[in-house]
Amino acid sequence: MTDLLNSPEDIAFRREIRDFVAAELNPDTRDRIRRGAPLRHEDIARWHKSMYRKGWVAPTWPVQHGGAGWSARQRLIADEELFRLHTPPLPNFGPRMIGPILIRFGSRAQQQRFLPAILSGADWWCQGFSEPGAGSDLASLTTRAVPTDGGWIVTGAKTWTTFAQHANRMFCLVRTDGQVKKQEGISMMLIDMDAPGVSRRPIRLMDGTEEVNEILLDQVFVPCGMVVGEVNRGWTYAKALLEGERLGIGGIGRCKHLLGRVRHMAQGADDALADARLAELEIDIMALEATTLRLLAAAEAGVPLGAETSLLKIRGTEIQQALTELMLDIAGPAALVPVAAGSNEDVFENVVCQFLNWRKLSIYGGSNEIQRTILAGQVLGL
Amino acid sequence: MIRFGLPGEEARLLQDTAERFVADRYGLAQRAVMLARPPQEAPAHWREMAALGWLAAPLPRGVGGLGMAPVHLQGLLETLGAGLILEPYGPAIMNCAATLSRLLPRAQAAGALAPMLAGDRVEVLAASPMGQALVQAEPEGDGWALSGTVPLVPGGAAAHAFWVAVDCGAESALAHVPASKAQVRGFRLVDGQAAASACFDGVSCGPRACFTGAADALAHGADMGLWAALAETSGLIGALCRATLDHVKLRQQFGRPIGRFQVVQHRMADMYMHTEEARSMAQLTAEALEEKDAGVRRRLLSAARVKTDAAARAVLRDAVQLHGGMGMTDELAVGHMVKRLLVLAQTGGSRAAHLKRFQASG
Repeated sequence: MTDLLNSPEDIAFRREIRDFVAAELNPDTRDRIRRGAPLRHEDIARWHKSMYRKGWVAPTWPVQHGGAGWSARQRLIADEELFRLHTPPLPNFGPRMIGPILIRFGSRAQQQRFLPAILSGADWWCQGFSEPGAGSDLASLTTRAVPTDGGWIVTGAKTWTTFAQHANRMFCLVRTDGQVKKQEGISMMLIDMDAPGVSRRPIRLMDGTEEVNEILLDQVFVPCGMVVGEVNRGWTYAKALLEGERLGIGGIGRCKHLLGRVRHMAQGADDALADARLAELEIDIMALEATTLRLLAAAEAGVPLGAETSLLKIRGTEIQQALTELMLDIAGPAALVPVAAGSNEDVFENVVCQFLNWRKLSIYGGSNEIQRTILAGQVLGL
Repeated sequence: MIRFGLPGEEARLLQDTAERFVADRYGLAQRAVMLARPPQEAPAHWREMAALGWLAAPLPRGVGGLGMAPVHLQGLLETLGAGLILEPYGPAIMNCAATLSRLLPRAQAAGALAPMLAGDRVEVLAASPMGQALVQAEPEGDGWALSGTVPLVPGGAAAHAFWVAVDCGAESALAHVPASKAQVRGFRLVDGQAAASACFDGVSCGPRACFTGAADALAHGADMGLWAALAETSGLIGALCRATLDHVKLRQQFGRPIGRFQVVQHRMADMYMHTEEARSMAQLTAEALEEKDAGVRRRLLSAARVKTDAAARAVLRDAVQLHGGMGMTDELAVGHMVKRLLVLAQTGGSRAAHLKRFQASG
């Protein structure tokens, strides 16, 4: 795969990352990631500690809050290299999602309390947005917060909560006013997962994993100080959170990593169709990267980035899903039988699991249909 | 080195001028008049384009050009592409003149290019779409005897002379042949561009018209010609997308603009994404043309052809579809844009050929 970012400074930065990873990454973790095995909590936690010591946990935060201080270009390179070197991706919920929101909209007390713990890994966050009755139509959420002495009483259910089993905190959208337009009655609250009334039910997925959960909130007390920004402005913060994530959500590093795995599978198969398909997908990744760089360059020159970034989410996820389909084609029946660990066939061990698991990409973060509606409405004026 | 800078002041001025040129000279009715003229006639606005500096813009200063880098020409090319111009800017300037700027010693190149850049003479390459020789050259005295036909020479109908890529056994070579010595059959392609087939059977070339060691020059011209086609395609895709967007906002069915229907909105979102990706690839390759490493340069150009062709096909299909019956007519620009895209898709080598080249370069 051709590296588009290859100036002398780019190459020096790549080398720094490679040296760091070579010294710090556990070989067993590296091997699991290389084979596409499901992520284990201990792999991620150990790698988080290494990244923390290096000061690289939060690529997008300002340096004064403990961020890495990288330019947008460096963030893309880091994403690419860290995937290329088979490091486990750190969960987005703390460093990439709630952290930037607290930096922008949170109180000083919230920043001082939560930001250092996100960096160190002492706190693990999960996201309480979706509900059984509010998926793509997120603004129709019904989890209610009723004011009480010194805070709120929250009751309702959240779902698709990724890695809630490892989380001690949740940022949550709740309805604080049922009398106004649905987007205007929502607040964002920070909830302690150990608080009385919070319970969790794991959801088993078709790939056999239990990475998502349902969270029940039964009269959970949330102190006033745990409301982010202003009451009833939660929809604005949620949109900022999702937009802030989109530049990274194309997942160029992830795409290239997956491409490398599929290419490895295709090696020696002498399958001209698969080879042509791989070349096309490599070109698709190149176009995604070129578009990302073009939007970034415009942003750095002062053109505000808006809903255009939805296209990066759509294309990035389409490419990754296409790659998991190509894996199935290449593996054929070999993907369907159980494989003894460590045997020669283990290249195909996780093909079906990953194909199934990756269906989520076009659903989460605002489904690809929602993203197209955003493009049509906000960019094209339809 | 890929930087993705924004276009500078000079590039923006060039594009503004091009937009006015297209608005003033290329209404559909004006274009229909040009299309009715014989293809052998001198291109309608060629001298005006020369006076605007466009013919000299992409060529090095040392040979009489203005030395503008492709990144600064992208806006111009996109605008001319969107404007459906009929002048042979791609074949005569981006492809042929660029080849000559590398083939000939500086003074000789300046001499050969002067009348071309002034708009007085049109000269084009006679080769395959990717610059390979289709004509044989046998030794004859100090020169060559040519044989063979090039079935499609873009811009060839009005050409004063051809630079014929010839196979002379050993190395890449070019023969300079006045149009009067070849059997030229001029015609218009499906998109209305003037072109020709040129038969060189029995043509004798004296030693001063024979040029060996042309591989680098031909490759450079092929790169530039392909890039120009990609940039034009990018502009044209954008124009087709805008025209369709205007249509779905205006066209009423079931009591509302069809752009209110989600299925139409999602199609438009897809067209928008293709437009952005085509533009990204045009800019990526514009920057890549400055790349020293020919392997990387060609690899990115081939990738851009593959991606841009996919984008063009998707956009032209949806543009006609969303225009409905109106999109089938000859009265809207849509149909003319679609036909131009079909021709551009073959200019500089097809998607299939470039996918193969890309795979071989991996």
